[in-house]
Amino acid sequence: MRIRSMGERDLPAVMAIERASFAAPWSEAQFRDEIARDDRVWLAAEDETGAVVGFGGIWVASDGAHLMDLAVSPNRRGCGTGRALLWALAEAAAQRGAERVTLEVAQSNRDALGLYLSSGFDVAGVRRGYYAETGDDALVLWSRPIRSHLAAIAAARERREMVLAIETSCDETAAAVMRGGCELLSSVVASQVDFHARFGGVVPEIASRKHTEAIVGVVDEALEQAGVGFEDLHAVAVTQGPGLVGTLVVGLAYAKGLAFARNLPLVGVNHLEGHLYAARLHDPALEPPFVALVVSGGHTMLVHVPEWGRHRVLGRTLDDAAGEAFDKVAKLLGLGYPGGPAISRLAAEGDPDAIPFPRAMLRSGDLDVSLSGLKTAVLQYVQRERAAGRELHLPNIAASFQAAVVDVQVAKTVRAATKHGVRSVVMAGGVAANAALREALRAALAEHDVRLVVPPMALCTDNAAMIAAVAHDEIVRGRFLGLSVDADPTMHLRGADESRHVRI
Amino acid sequence: MRPFVALDTATEHVAVAVGDLDDPAAVLASEAFEAPRAANEVLLRAIEEILAQAGIAVGEVAAVACGRGPGSFTGVRIAVATAKGLAHGLRVPLVGFGTSDAVAHRIQQAGLIGVATDAMRGEVYPALFRVDDRGSVARLSRDRVTTPEEAAGEWAALGEELVVTGTGLRKHRAVFERVLGPSAAFAEEPLWAPDGPSLVAAAWSCRDERSLRAIAETDRREAFERAHPQLLLPIYTRLSDAEEAERRRAALPRDPGATGVAGPPEGGGVR
Repeated sequence: MRIRSMGERDLPAVMAIERASFAAPWSEAQFRDEIARDDRVWLAAEDETGAVVGFGGIWVASDGAHLMDLAVSPNRRGCGTGRALLWALAEAAAQRGAERVTLEVAQSNRDALGLYLSSGFDVAGVRRGYYAETGDDALVLWSRPIRSHLAAIAAARERREMVLAIETSCDETAAAVMRGGCELLSSVVASQVDFHARFGGVVPEIASRKHTEAIVGVVDEALEQAGVGFEDLHAVAVTQGPGLVGTLVVGLAYAKGLAFARNLPLVGVNHLEGHLYAARLHDPALEPPFVALVVSGGHTMLVHVPEWGRHRVLGRTLDDAAGEAFDKVAKLLGLGYPGGPAISRLAAEGDPDAIPFPRAMLRSGDLDVSLSGLKTAVLQYVQRERAAGRELHLPNIAASFQAAVVDVQVAKTVRAATKHGVRSVVMAGGVAANAALREALRAALAEHDVRLVVPPMALCTDNAAMIAAVAHDEIVRGRFLGLSVDADPTMHLRGADESRHVRI
Repeated sequence: MRPFVALDTATEHVAVAVGDLDDPAAVLASEAFEAPRAANEVLLRAIEEILAQAGIAVGEVAAVACGRGPGSFTGVRIAVATAKGLAHGLRVPLVGFGTSDAVAHRIQQAGLIGVATDAMRGEVYPALFRVDDRGSVARLSRDRVTTPEEAAGEWAALGEELVVTGTGLRKHRAVFERVLGPSAAFAEEPLWAPDGPSLVAAAWSCRDERSLRAIAETDRREAFERAHPQLLLPIYTRLSDAEEAERRRAALPRDPGATGVAGPPEGGGVR
């Protein structure tokens, strides 16, 4: 795709796209009048064959640049053409002195609204009944300062952008500085585990309080270790979700305040996508398509990644996350928190075949898993043994429980990998620290000639380096947040997106 | 002129203002509106708007003053975390003030003022103030959390007339009326939460070493070190439920201390 100036000869193609996109299209005479004006910039996007697949126009006025129209051919939508046109128009407006871009969009036009809100625009007002044809309300949107966003995009394309990333989705306050999406200059993680351990799990209110206390110091430490200041940054990235709402809010509010203070672009990152990118940080040669097993205290899911930024969730836990199951079983065995390391240590001395705990959903035919039944089975076993007056053999219980978790995860992951014909499987998240799971999965995948990529522990557990890595790709795509964004505790991995059609 | 931004989201109201470190009487721009559970979405845009109204670029902001609560835990953290990001990014001092102080500043008449902010669970955050004839507001009690009955009883024991205000009246007005009888007058509902000018006044009325008054007289670098954005913390008055329950069972003190997190009890708290 190439973006160039739009002229009269493009009008037949432009009219076809305009009519296909809007209920009340502009007339050819209107376009003719528009493109002749000095204070307008009209651009066309053409494909490899030179055919026009999208266009847009902007009016540079004294109060800012007004986006007039933007549309993409119906069969060429969802590939980033609309966003590329938007930023090309913003760049043309910036060259003519504009600081910000404004536009009106029909409230019902969800795809267009999605494009603008994910390009850093904020809703500034509503015009009731603005569209006479439909009676639809118009939302008035304003961009954030466009120069800093264009500078970040340009730097990211040359892999030299400097990003500060912040992560507070659970109980680690983390900040990292990264250049070009791969050169990690610092990664600081302040763990709160000592404040949660005696409760057997993360207490959200305590976590939120500790993040508030720690965030400035953690950011200062990350900047100092990297040897950079705020003035060296191109963007601030932050985990927007999923996670604990109270803890996400602290990182996001801080990041928004910082981005506003420095006029820097703000990049919102999905925490789960961060876990996937941790594998790329570890192995830069890793390329999609691959299948990822994300296993942590909060998540257990299998994801197919056909290309970076696109995902399909193949299966997930129907109840407890794997890390949660380890914590709960450790708690009932009196092993303390976090449960993963305690159980895996004990399991190394036990017999995994000693107790036949259930392998739930092993033959369910899908890729979902369930772990709460297993936890109940361990509880019932422990109660039975105690009632019978027998002493518990903790290593055997730990080893048998762990084996049941591992068997199901391995079977489902191998099935996902072979079904989708991928050559690589990524395992990420804190439970990837479990050596038994890692080795069993590696061996099982090797039989199918599939390699397993497991990032080192510092990248598997929650950290901000992985958030910075995702931010690089988001900046290249031109995806940013506005200042009115809120935390999204149930945020989903992004599938196909980008603009469909837009009426300004 | 050295403009500063003041903000508070501890109640269901968002209040923002621009003041001037060189003029305690100045309110260059302000805004306040109700935004239940939406503070994180609207706060920064509101600040952006009042700065634009006052004709001030964000880079010219010389200090940030933030309401520390007590109030909704998440609400207070939204203001504090936003203020930290703003002040840290600008490398300017971050000072605090009590949200109840701002509410007290909304009452203009001389005499005692009892502020009772809703603390949920049938409790309030009470704070007592005295306004003198010149309109200056002095705080007479520490922030804490208690039942409306207990707060009203203590105020009644003073045997003085007072004005009662605060968002706690929405649920508990009848208690204050019953216990205080004719000695109490009640503020109108629009006065129960801070507005922009009251934030500026409350920020100026604080007297500690990291207050607006203290840093206004200090050079910028020293002021930043003294009121570093790292230092400001919310006023919670309560521990988290988990720590409250743990300490109640163990008959330990439940003072939230400076950080609001008690940490493991001495001698180890592992169960």
